[in-house]
Amino acid sequence: MNLTVKIGKAEFANPVTVASGTFGCAQRYYNLDEIKGLGAITLKTVTLHARQGNPPPRIVETPSGMVNAIGIENPGADGFIEQKLPSLREIGVPLIISILGHTDKEFEILTEKFNALEGIHALELNLSCPNLGKKTLVAQDPKSTSRVVKLVKKASRLPVIAKLSPNVTDISVIARAAQDAGADAVSLVNTFAALVIDVKRKRPVLGNSSGGLSGPAIRPIAVYMVDRAAQAVSIPIIAMGGIMTAEDALQFILAGASMVAVGTANFINPRAPLEILAGIKKYMKENKLHDIQEIVGSVRA
Amino acid sequence: MAKIQHVCQVVSNEKFCPKFYRLCFAAEPIRRKVRPGQFVHIRAGEGLEPFLRRPFSVSRLPAGGHGAKKHVEILYEAVGPGTRILASKKKGDVLDVLGPLGTPFRMPPQGIKQVVMIAGGIGAAPFFMLSDALKGKGYNLILLYGGRSRGHVFNMREFKRQGCKVYTATDDGSVGVRGRVSVLFDKIKTAPAATFLYACGPRPMIASVQVFARRHNIGGQVSCEETMACGLGACLGCSVLTASGYKTVCCDGPVFDIDEVEIPLP
Ligand SMILES: Cc1cc2nc3c(=O)[nH]c(=O)nc-3n(C[C@H](O)[C@H](O)[C@H](O)COP(=O)(O)OP(=O)(O)OC[C@H]3O[C@@H](n4cnc5c(N)ncnc54)[C@H](O)[C@@H]3O)c2cc1C
Ligand SMILES: Cc1cc2nc3c(=O)[nH]c(=O)nc-3n(C[C@H](O)[C@H](O)[C@H](O)COP(=O)(O)O)c2cc1C
Ligand code: FES
Repeated sequence: MNLTVKIGKAEFANPVTVASGTFGCAQRYYNLDEIKGLGAITLKTVTLHARQGNPPPRIVETPSGMVNAIGIENPGADGFIEQKLPSLREIGVPLIISILGHTDKEFEILTEKFNALEGIHALELNLSCPNLGKKTLVAQDPKSTSRVVKLVKKASRLPVIAKLSPNVTDISVIARAAQDAGADAVSLVNTFAALVIDVKRKRPVLGNSSGGLSGPAIRPIAVYMVDRAAQAVSIPIIAMGGIMTAEDALQFILAGASMVAVGTANFINPRAPLEILAGIKKYMKENKLHDIQEIVGSVRA
Repeated sequence: MAKIQHVCQVVSNEKFCPKFYRLCFAAEPIRRKVRPGQFVHIRAGEGLEPFLRRPFSVSRLPAGGHGAKKHVEILYEAVGPGTRILASKKKGDVLDVLGPLGTPFRMPPQGIKQVVMIAGGIGAAPFFMLSDALKGKGYNLILLYGGRSRGHVFNMREFKRQGCKVYTATDDGSVGVRGRVSVLFDKIKTAPAATFLYACGPRPMIASVQVFARRHNIGGQVSCEETMACGLGACLGCSVLTASGYKTVCCDGPVFDIDEVEIPLP
């Protein structure tokens, strides 16, 4: 049974990774032997300078999901490289580093910093960052998406994945822009902009006011967007959005995803990524599939 | 994948006082490792509602024969969907539990003679285990308990048996002194260098303990609450502001030194 996935020149042993910002403290709480079963680990977004994040409350539960406004709390690239990377490398699972620049220059510096390091397999660009001079995010504008992907591609020796925001009118336009700019893959979806109001206090629940919705509540919309994107691009798609079970993951694969990322489900069931991988294997066996690629996008076959 | 994830059988689930329940489940690995102040993260339902796990302090490790060597207890109040589902659990039902999680209380430093536990309502939960760890060590143990009303006051014999002096206040005066638990602070003989405080309860109470501790220069620890998702330090959703920036309640806490945290008040 062949489960390997290729993204640019990077190869992953299977199509299951964890979504940025939803997996951590591996050493303290997990059986490392089991984690080794993952295809890749995608890490929390790193910015050039440390960020302390948003004021609490940062999360609120919603029907079949949650809204978060963490504010990309992270120790900055140098802090991450010194404090976190060494032990992550030891796990022995391919690492996908998520980076976010507040300017083109920051994206360039971040790319160069990670270029210089061993044990990293790909860069994921968190394009849900402010688009300087405009009120939108980079990921909401095909031109800006193209510009950032191009400049990172030029500097990077690693495969580059463009992570797209679902808060757009037509995801296929942005996906195409990323592909045309040279991205090795696109990943989608990030969280949906959302607001929860405390009626008693007449104020937003979250310290940051609005946040991003994740979890099973967004899954059907995410599957739809992956299906749309798959029709627009030929590069691999890493799909996420409310995946809790193997069946959920398979929906995305049938819609056109080569790889799937488990996000919020990690909070409810830390075993979810491994159970999903086992379930995909079982499905392949039952359907007499030899290569996972046989069913990627096959909903349209 | 997580070595802290356990499928546990409910042993008993009973009313402890009109408003509180005590739930006992079998989890030998948790019992073996847990320290006072740590918590467990429980998936109350089986489907998607409620969606997230719910955190509960480990309250007590019951003594006794047979299976009791595996037993772990939480004390809880049914306040919403998650805790209402918990209240419906019966002996033999299974619970998906992560734990033990978080940083425990530290033992009082050298030279301490008087240890005061200050609890607001269900905040008393971790003090059953803490007082058990502190008994017989020569401390003058005191529990100051504040509850909303009669329904929130429970039998204090377990604390008394451990040599604890107990003082109670209720908001409506139905039991003990009338007022918040802070009306009991005068029971603390303020010999700052020899006194250590532990506090667990609603935020305004923690804030009042902070004010008191600062005014009298008394050391101690507080257990904080914040909405949690993962409970494992992964999502950074449960952060509280501390003297050294944001820290997670689930991993760096829930227990912090009194002076370390800044309590957000509405
Ligand atoms: C480290 C930690 C230890 C805890 N230990 C205990 C314990 O030993 N016993 C116990 O009964 N409860 C404890 N709690 C609080 C407990 O987690 C909440 O009562 C529970 O999540 C409520 O879930 P629910 O679905 O029943 O209610 P929800 O619908 O989630 O909430 C109902 C009401 O309770 C309030 N609430 C919800 N979560 C919290 C919270 N984390 N802190 C304060 N208020 C909250 C809400 O604002 C709402 O008004 C602890 C919380 C933390 C963070
Ligand atoms: C608490 C939390 C933190 C997140 N942090 C990041 C982040 O730092 N960078 C990023 O690109 N996406 C982040 N995400 C988005 C997820 O990676 C994922 O795209 C999204 O949650 C949808 O997948 P899910 O429904 O499976 O969680 C975060 C999501 C959550 C819930
Ligand atoms: S609940 Fe996720 S970091 Fe604390």
